[in-house]
Amino acid sequence: MTATHSQQGPALPAAGGIGRWLAETLTTRPSFSSYFAPFMQYWQPGWSTHAWRAAVMQIRSELSDVYSLVLKPDSRWAGFVAGQYVQLTVEKDGAFCTRTFSISSSPAHWQTTGLIELTIREQVGGRITPWLRQHLHANSVVNISAAQGEFTLQQVPEHRPLLLIAGGSGLTPLHSMLQQLSSEVSAREVHLLVYARDSQHFLFQQALLGYETSLSNLSIQWMDSEQVGFIDESHLQPLQRLLECDVFVCGPSPMIKAARDALRVLHVADERVHFEYFGAAPLDRVAQLDASRVVQFSRSQHVLDVAQASNQSLLEMAEQSGLNPVSGCRIGVCHQCICQKERGVVLNTRTGEYSDTGPEEIQLCLSVPVTDVVVSL
Amino acid sequence: MTTTVMNRGNTVLVPAPAKAGGHVTIRPDDATLDAFAEELDALRAETMSKVGQKDADYIRRVIRWQRGLDMGGRVVMLVGFLSPLWWTGLFGVLMLAIAKILDNMEIGHNVMHGQYDWMNDPNINSRDFEWDNVGDANSWKRYHNHEHHTYTNIIGKDRDYGYGILRLSDDIAWRPRNLYQFFMYLKLSLLFEFGVAYHELAGERIFFGKKKKNSQLPISREELKQAFFRKIRRQTFKDYVFYPLLCFPVLVPVLLGNLAANLIRNLWTSTVIFCGHFTESAHTFRAEDCEQETRGQWYFRQILGSSNFEGPRWLHILSGHLSCQVEHHLFPDVPAYHYPEMAKTVEQICQRYGIPYNTGSFARQYWTVLQRIVRYSFPTRRELANA
Ligand code: FES
Repeated sequence: MTATHSQQGPALPAAGGIGRWLAETLTTRPSFSSYFAPFMQYWQPGWSTHAWRAAVMQIRSELSDVYSLVLKPDSRWAGFVAGQYVQLTVEKDGAFCTRTFSISSSPAHWQTTGLIELTIREQVGGRITPWLRQHLHANSVVNISAAQGEFTLQQVPEHRPLLLIAGGSGLTPLHSMLQQLSSEVSAREVHLLVYARDSQHFLFQQALLGYETSLSNLSIQWMDSEQVGFIDESHLQPLQRLLECDVFVCGPSPMIKAARDALRVLHVADERVHFEYFGAAPLDRVAQLDASRVVQFSRSQHVLDVAQASNQSLLEMAEQSGLNPVSGCRIGVCHQCICQKERGVVLNTRTGEYSDTGPEEIQLCLSVPVTDVVVSL
Repeated sequence: MTTTVMNRGNTVLVPAPAKAGGHVTIRPDDATLDAFAEELDALRAETMSKVGQKDADYIRRVIRWQRGLDMGGRVVMLVGFLSPLWWTGLFGVLMLAIAKILDNMEIGHNVMHGQYDWMNDPNINSRDFEWDNVGDANSWKRYHNHEHHTYTNIIGKDRDYGYGILRLSDDIAWRPRNLYQFFMYLKLSLLFEFGVAYHELAGERIFFGKKKKNSQLPISREELKQAFFRKIRRQTFKDYVFYPLLCFPVLVPVLLGNLAANLIRNLWTSTVIFCGHFTESAHTFRAEDCEQETRGQWYFRQILGSSNFEGPRWLHILSGHLSCQVEHHLFPDVPAYHYPEMAKTVEQICQRYGIPYNTGSFARQYWTVLQRIVRYSFPTRRELANA
């Protein structure tokens, strides 16, 4: 599943100072490794100056539309904290495509086996998530970024009880936390509420039941939305020490909103509530520009609400927000307005094609946002 | 030279016919050109649907060849010049020259046109590619992709037309200095990379002349100047200081070898580019021709202003596929490696619409370029009579 998080810069630091000057002067590339990259990639597919290699060990079915990628990251990959996510990059038809996924396994598991797992829901009509399942196989090589994200247990003191609320495949980072706690054999009080759209869609059911032996104070409630509906106060009220809990919520955005509202009604302080959006962002297929959208210029921190019918280009929008991006012809010829889109779908007004949902270069003057879009400007 | 005709009840201006060395081509009416544009758009869409892994593999392969030749050439030069058979070092010079040509043409030029941006490869994209010549890539991108590709062969707007040095059409008034323009041409060719580097600064009149009015320069004049000198310094350091010193016992031969490689590259790139726009039947246009141009009219002008040359595969690659200048001007961001294939269809389409399509062997096209440079060294009869 896809976490909608803004990303931090490149995964590997660029060489500075004299090394960079020499590389730029002698090779016209920003680093020597970038100069040699095409050779390295030839010799070792997936070699990258910007990310780490990870070998696919196994693709395991979890549910009919959910699978886990078992990956063995390069030994230099720095590891992670339970709850964090990585960006996964694959080369599809010659193009690098990037998606963000939470790690569903624990750091302890990685330390003993060298393996991590990403648990992914196939998006209907998606470009990447079904493709990964079909085209990757044991021994394929993919790239992953450094682990990122603040949605971790390190944010809260160890002695306090936990309330974990998962919606659908938003369970993945929470599963990582639980697996970690269980490996440490803890008596910490943990309440887990797992919401699924029906009883067929409970993820990690076996594994979670198994944790009840090593986590003496774990209670799990399986919430079948067909039976109990969306999350509301009545689901949380029975919890006795609710006000002492640190709450972690992960799921699609309407679910997070409902959970936060319910917690507020029950007087749980906002600082106690940690959440991570899941799955709501990328819609791979878009019909027309009818919904209202939000455009975010990440470097300048400008946020713009786009009127429903607007077909203004991102270039015009940026200029209206007082930004001054480089541009030239404004008709798609000169390529000066190229800029990194971090996520979201844009329509190329010249070719009529919709972009990918992940990070890629776009021409601002030709791009009209179709979904919520984040542009690094 | 503008005539007024009635068209669908509206009065519209029909621009002066495009001219090329005496013969004129009348622009077809809008409806015809719209249909024409549709066919070209369809060709573009069809080609783009095929772009994929093969293209990524291809450009990486070319880059590996370029880097192999770059490093290999420098080694061969050193070993060759050190050996008793000193002339074997000349192979190194040739290898280095080819590496530079590949870097500038098939890789740099095409990557900077955004032809490979879809790959999302941080090392192969138009935003931060830099090439192995003295021209600053960002400066080139600013004027080339915009000025030259939008205002192709429009006298007065496309300063690539004759580079402000050569008179290649009688739209430009003859001046006595044109008499020796053939020598100017040779000089320009040899120093072509400096022409590329200086082009934008000349337009902005950074060093000479009055500051350009309503300049659209997105960086400051100071930054432009700095980038210009920085790139020249770096290239000079690399080819004339660092590598010669590294090969200390044969410092002078290596320095001269590097110089020769740069000159060979300059001559070759300038020759390819002259064959693309200054052949006998490449047309010129006037500024009003491109006002409110439709897509069909734009295509039409691009085709008339460009010319192709034919040859074996390696010639296409060494020219960065600018051998298919027509296709490049129609589809500047389609991976160039598809141009020879597209050219067949474009030529057929042009034939059906009666639009001249300019192609010929490399030797023939270049011969017409030389003739053109010589012909316009002299004034027209009218100018002579007025003088
Ligand atoms: S401004 Fe020229 S391509 Fe966008």
